[in-house]
Amino acid sequence: MAILLVLVPISLILLGLAIWAFVWAVKSGQYDDLDAPAIDILRNDVAKSEAPPSGHAKETDAD
Amino acid sequence: MAASRLGSGQLTWGRLSSATEVVDANVSPGCYHCGEPLPAQPTLCVVGGEPRVFCCNGCAAAATWIGEASLDDYYRLRSASAGRVAAEPADFSAWDQDSVLAEHSRVVEGGREITVLTDAMRCAACAWLIDRALRQQPGVLDAGANAITGRIIVSWDPRRTSVSTLMARLAALGYRPWLATGEEREQALRRERRRWLMRIGVAGLGAMQAMMFAEALYLDTRGEMALATRDFFRWITFLVSTPVVFYSGWPFLEGMAHELRARRLGMDTLIAGSTLLAYFASLFETVRGGPHVWYDAAVMFVLLLLLARLLEQRARRVASAQVDALAHARPALATREDGSGRVEQVPLAALAIGDVVRVSSGEAVPADGLLLDHPSAFDESLISGESAPVQRNVGETALAGSICRDRPARLRVSRTGSDTRLSQIIRLVEQAQGARPRLARVADRIASAFVIVLLVSSAGVYFWWLRHDPSRAFEITLSVLVVSCPCALSLAIPVALTAANGALARLGVLGLRPDALTSLARVDRVVFDKTGTLGTGQPTLLEVEVFSGMDRERALQIAAALERDSRHPLALALAAEPAGLDASDVRGTPGLGLQGRVDGSDWRIGRADFAASREDDGAVWLGDGSRAFARFVIQESCRPDAAAAIAMLRRQGLVVELCSGDSEQAVRAFAALLDISDPRARQLPEQKVSHVRQLQAQGHVVAMVGDGINDAPVLAGADVSLAMADGAALAQRAADMVITNPSLLRIPQAIALSRRTRRVIRQNLAWALAYNLLALPLAATGQVTPWIAALGMALSSLLVTLNALRLTRMAH
Repeated sequence: MAILLVLVPISLILLGLAIWAFVWAVKSGQYDDLDAPAIDILRNDVAKSEAPPSGHAKETDAD
Repeated sequence: MAASRLGSGQLTWGRLSSATEVVDANVSPGCYHCGEPLPAQPTLCVVGGEPRVFCCNGCAAAATWIGEASLDDYYRLRSASAGRVAAEPADFSAWDQDSVLAEHSRVVEGGREITVLTDAMRCAACAWLIDRALRQQPGVLDAGANAITGRIIVSWDPRRTSVSTLMARLAALGYRPWLATGEEREQALRRERRRWLMRIGVAGLGAMQAMMFAEALYLDTRGEMALATRDFFRWITFLVSTPVVFYSGWPFLEGMAHELRARRLGMDTLIAGSTLLAYFASLFETVRGGPHVWYDAAVMFVLLLLLARLLEQRARRVASAQVDALAHARPALATREDGSGRVEQVPLAALAIGDVVRVSSGEAVPADGLLLDHPSAFDESLISGESAPVQRNVGETALAGSICRDRPARLRVSRTGSDTRLSQIIRLVEQAQGARPRLARVADRIASAFVIVLLVSSAGVYFWWLRHDPSRAFEITLSVLVVSCPCALSLAIPVALTAANGALARLGVLGLRPDALTSLARVDRVVFDKTGTLGTGQPTLLEVEVFSGMDRERALQIAAALERDSRHPLALALAAEPAGLDASDVRGTPGLGLQGRVDGSDWRIGRADFAASREDDGAVWLGDGSRAFARFVIQESCRPDAAAAIAMLRRQGLVVELCSGDSEQAVRAFAALLDISDPRARQLPEQKVSHVRQLQAQGHVVAMVGDGINDAPVLAGADVSLAMADGAALAQRAADMVITNPSLLRIPQAIALSRRTRRVIRQNLAWALAYNLLALPLAATGQVTPWIAALGMALSSLLVTLNALRLTRMAH
């Protein structure tokens, strides 16, 4: 049963990692907005430009 | 984290599923952006490669910007038309002041962050648009909008942009921002939400691990495990269950402390008590090397109850957030005069009693104050529900939150901040939201009595087993405590009500009074209190009579020319006629009509006494001041879904009545169209109330549907009242429920939902009682081990919760 002495601590470390990842996700606001991302995936073309709009930055509508 | 997505995630999908409306909104002849009827000369613009028509420059500018920013997917994704965009750019420069920023924003890495409210977000696509639009602005670090709570959070770099620029951008898209009550409160709300999520996460992960290790111990059925291994597992389980009990279970421990301090026994005492008992007894056994540990029971208990509580909270928040956002939208700044007559913009908090403030026309009054200089009219619809402006004389009090509708006013501040009437009303709304419905309180009391019975009987069980089999006494007592915890009983009602409220909110129905839903289920009679609730609000021309040799076409043309730019509701029907003539010198006389020159002669249009010196008969007359030339009968048309809604109500076994203050003619016309027998017309509020009382005396349960304006006594007289309202001034309507969606079908849907809620509550109560009655004797006789007890208890709570969550699924 010596293998337990390795496996159990590993599982505890994984548990710690999982909790850390979850706390990080919550704190960095991953769960704050559950609406807009759902809409985002419904767009046909993804606007790559994060730049302010200008006259020629127009996209053709796929419809 | 499927559970945490339930509230907001489903809202999005629920709304999106009605995407067929999207197409309608876009091809209707109205404005491309806001869907309102077009004026005579609509604005034309090319958006997304296609020419579109707009009602005003504001909407056109918004749509052009959206197109240029490649965000025109918004028009395909939205499920509701946008709000009309004000053509004049609003001035937000006052928001750049340090005093405002200090109170309403906070410093974040690289800049500042502010939370603002808006009441113009109609669907998830609006939130998406705001999100993307703000992020494209130079200097914006991050932006997020939530359509459910009406909140927009944006952080920006003050060196590259100013908050007023961003707010002006929002306003230009039609989302007029308001300052929230303060950054601190917003932060507190967000922190609270995040803390709950973290608690659930820790409980979920920790409990899974603890149960896994416990399983290893359980599988050792023949006791072959070495003692060292067993103790090793026990200490590891102790390690992972400690944060679950003390961090995740903190709300229950805190609740127990509250209850003990108030010297009463409630659910939290029992939950926390059982958890702590199981936890410390296990620790004791671990140290002592005793035969059993119960860590798994403790963590499972905490996790599952936390889940149930989170679902309950979330359902409540969804139901109240919209109202909350509106109630808090009040002016952020005041224009204060100093001793020498100079004016400055100051934040509300800086106002003191005795200050003199100026309120220009169209602005909201910042604090209660005595009117100086001259009388003025104020729109107090926010506070009293009265839609017509109220005249206030010098020395009378103008109320905070009312809107100056007349000449600019000067006020001497008499009450500020939380002493103002507006604040008091907001507190009332908050209380209504915080109050637990009577039904839930009854369940609480039953559960509380049950707790005492349970404690006494488990003490009895303990002593009985101590005499007969001391080795099993503790374990059996723990089982009794855990298995028969009346959690399911106390959850049965509130969780059903909150789930139903969440579903209602998604339908566009907000419950303002906690008991509204339960009353609605008993309703057997629906009285429409105003024809306005059944009508579109858009009058249409029904018939035209001509006199003195006037011909029909020409009469319509003259009328259309005169009414073209009027925004009076009756004018819309006439202005919709084809143009051909132009009017000049058009002047309006409030309450009477318009006069102007068309084709070289003077015309008057309006009430008979104004236009043609005849007795007023409710119709619109065209004349020259003495002779009549034409008479237009204008009537509101039915909402397209009114007939369907009434048919649905009838199918539900309800009797529909119409009881209106409008003229006999209008009411009869409506009743005939909708096949309502025995309509009552020209009813005064007192007559309506006495009619409702009479119905109630006959044993009927009456629901009243009105618009919440001027009919507060009538609505209050009914068993349950529903008000149709749109957009602004929601929280102030004097009704038990407010329907924010323009569709009348929401009424039968809400009633159907309330009946399903009642059914679910009965099922839940029956299940919870049956479970407790069955489990208690089983546990007392030693048939149930603590972990089975925890599982059984938690499953019964979960079953009750899940049964209630069925209500959130839409029933169409």
